[in-house]
Amino acid sequence: MGGKVTCTLGEVKQRADFIIYWGGNPAECHPRHFTKYTIMQKSKFLPRGRKDRTMVLVDIRETKSAKAADIFLQVRPGKDFELITILRALIKDQPVRDEDIAETGLDRAAVEDLVRRMKGAKFGCMFFGMGLSMTRGKHMNSAALLTLAAEMNAFTKFVAMPMRGHGNVTGADVIMRWQTGYPFGISFNRGYPRYNPGEFSTVDVLVRGDCDAAFIIGADPGATMPQPAIDHLARIPTIVLDPHITHTSRLARVHITTAPQGISAPGTAYRMDELPMPLSPALKSPYPTDEEVVRRINEAIAKKPFWLPDGGPSPHQWTSQVNL
Amino acid sequence: MSSKRFILNSTRSARQGSLINVGKDSEEYRALTSSMVMCAADMAEVGLVEGQPALIRTAFGESRFICEQGKVPEGMIVVPYGPPTCRLMGGDTDGTGMPTSKGWEVEVIPLEKI
Repeated sequence: MGGKVTCTLGEVKQRADFIIYWGGNPAECHPRHFTKYTIMQKSKFLPRGRKDRTMVLVDIRETKSAKAADIFLQVRPGKDFELITILRALIKDQPVRDEDIAETGLDRAAVEDLVRRMKGAKFGCMFFGMGLSMTRGKHMNSAALLTLAAEMNAFTKFVAMPMRGHGNVTGADVIMRWQTGYPFGISFNRGYPRYNPGEFSTVDVLVRGDCDAAFIIGADPGATMPQPAIDHLARIPTIVLDPHITHTSRLARVHITTAPQGISAPGTAYRMDELPMPLSPALKSPYPTDEEVVRRINEAIAKKPFWLPDGGPSPHQWTSQVNL
Repeated sequence: MSSKRFILNSTRSARQGSLINVGKDSEEYRALTSSMVMCAADMAEVGLVEGQPALIRTAFGESRFICEQGKVPEGMIVVPYGPPTCRLMGGDTDGTGMPTSKGWEVEVIPLEKI
């Protein structure tokens, strides 16, 4: 099954009376999330706010978010997929063995209580974090949870949403999807977009040493990517656009300081529910915006003669590899 | 030295988020991303005390962390994401585009006591 049954954070705020956080720690990583969009909000349909909502946290350890939860389910590390599969079976009244439930670190009573509450909700929402999507199982875990959300709609309204991090990672996915039909891991080296995670995705391209230059805007792979990828960034000409000096800046050949988005540069940022939010800068900056720097680089490239003497693709075609 | 293997989970925290805006070169940020949290029982088993450095080793690399005692399940180590965790990560993404950044099996080697 593909796709995602989801909604906006506004709908969660107005209607979600049952909220599950799976493999995420919003109390630490999304500090305004509880108060602005979910459990603490009062709404037309949930006038008593927190008292009208039930929060469940599923995680491998008791994080700060557990204090905010009504129910904390401590799943054994690496057993998320199994637990989701058990839930998918139990909601459809299919038999599940006790030993299979025990393998997840939970007991039957806790799992059946969760199923009962999920089915009894008027509007359920599952938020999932990197504890689900970046452990072993990766996209299979995410797909299982999204399928569970879709299947729950046979009983009640249910949605799922990833807890996206950082400033505008959702924006990068949304724009690439809009422009190419694919969210990330895209190669333009044949003049048209091709999608293949594992082949064209940034980490893989860098680790294999497939690219001979890197242009990085508003990201710090030097502090987040695996060491073999960082080593390759240091070997090739790397250009960084960032308001701060980062670990990536230190290994780059060129760092261009740009104005910080939303503070002194206008633009659009996408919220994690994929809603575009206009940014109104409050301050002026002596530095150019990312957009201005990219435009000026494009203009300079356009003035250069095409690099193949015997023709080839026309200069206006994209010939560089773009990886997000 | 204990031969016990641990599950290492890299995480983020509100404090780390704040410190990013101060600067990743700040001493506080470096100290934070070079700290690891273990439960008391695991620390005793490995022979570590609070504030003692230890080497974490994976199949791909190793990094030095300062040990802190905390409320984490037995057999698990929690560290904040950062340059030290990059050195522990392998480059294989299993065809997904995302490297595994949580749940590595690691070895803990205590270093000199302070």
